[in-house]
Amino acid sequence: MLVPMTASSSLSLPEPLPPEPAAGTATGRIPGNKGIWVGITCEFVEFLVLFIVYFVARAHFPDAFEAGSERLSRIAGTTITLLMIGSSFCLACSVACIRVDARRQSLYWLLAALLLALGYPLAKVLEIQWNLAQGIDGNSGIFFTVYYYLTFNHLVHAMWGVLGMLWVLVRHLAGGYSAEEHSGLEALASYWHATDIIWLVIFPFFYVLT
Amino acid sequence: MSPPAPNLKPLLRAWLALLALTLLSLALAHWQQGASWLPLLVAGIIWLKGDLVARHFLESSRATPFIARLLRYFIAFTPLALIFTAFFGREFARWATL
Repeated sequence: MLVPMTASSSLSLPEPLPPEPAAGTATGRIPGNKGIWVGITCEFVEFLVLFIVYFVARAHFPDAFEAGSERLSRIAGTTITLLMIGSSFCLACSVACIRVDARRQSLYWLLAALLLALGYPLAKVLEIQWNLAQGIDGNSGIFFTVYYYLTFNHLVHAMWGVLGMLWVLVRHLAGGYSAEEHSGLEALASYWHATDIIWLVIFPFFYVLT
Repeated sequence: MSPPAPNLKPLLRAWLALLALTLLSLALAHWQQGASWLPLLVAGIIWLKGDLVARHFLESSRATPFIARLLRYFIAFTPLALIFTAFFGREFARWATL
C-alpha cells in the first residue's frame, strides 16, 4: 500500500542500525560499500600468503626467530600499535558521530584519526634509522628479511589508508557526508580497521615472541 | 536544535581493552621470555584483539554473513597457525621443505 509523504516523514532523521541478526540468518549490512570489501578481501588474502611465508620460515629457523626479536626496537613496535589502535578508535567515533548527524564532532574525530595515522610512517622512519644504526638491514638474516618484507608491505597498505583519510576529510569538509549518506566515510573506516587487525597480528610476530 | 549525542562508551571500552592487551603482551615479552606456553597466550591475545576490532569497530555482528565469516576466519587463522608452529614446528618444517 502506498503511504502519502507527509511533512514529518520527509524530515531527514538518521537511520538506526539494524538489530543484530540471529545466528544462521542470511541478513546483515555491508559496512561502507561492496567495493571496499572486495579490496579488504584481497588485502586479507595477500597477508595470509605473507603470514604463511612467516610460519614456514619460523618453522625452519626457530632459533633465528627467537633471537631476532630481541634485536628490534620494542618501543617502535609498541608506538606503531598504539597509533594504529588509537587511529582506529577515532575513526569508529567519527562514523558513530555522523550517524547521529553530529558533523562537527565527526570531523574532529576524523582529524584526530588522520594525525595519529601520520605518526605511523614517522615512527617507521625512526625505527629504520635505529635498525640501520644497529647494523640491521634486509640482509641480516632470515628473520629480518621476513620482518622488512611484512612490515614494509603493511606500511604501504597503511599509506593507502592515509591517502583515503585525506580524501574523506576533503569530502567531509565539503559537506559530503550526512546521517543518511556516509558510506564513503564508513568504507574508509572499514579499510583502516582491517589494516589495524593485520598490524595487531604482525606486532607479536616480531616484537613479542622471543 | 543540536544533534543527539553519540554513544561512544562501547567504543571507548573496546579501545581501553586493546590498550590493556597490548600492555599485557609487552609484560609477557619482558618477564616470560622463552616460556613454552608463551605462544599459546600470545595466540589468545591476537585472537582477542582481532575480535575486539571486528566486533566493536567493524560491527561484524551486524554485517552480512560473508563479511562476518571473512573476519572470523582471518582472525582465527594466525593464532591457530602460531600454536601449530610452536608445538609441531619440526613436522611442519619437514612437510614444507621444497
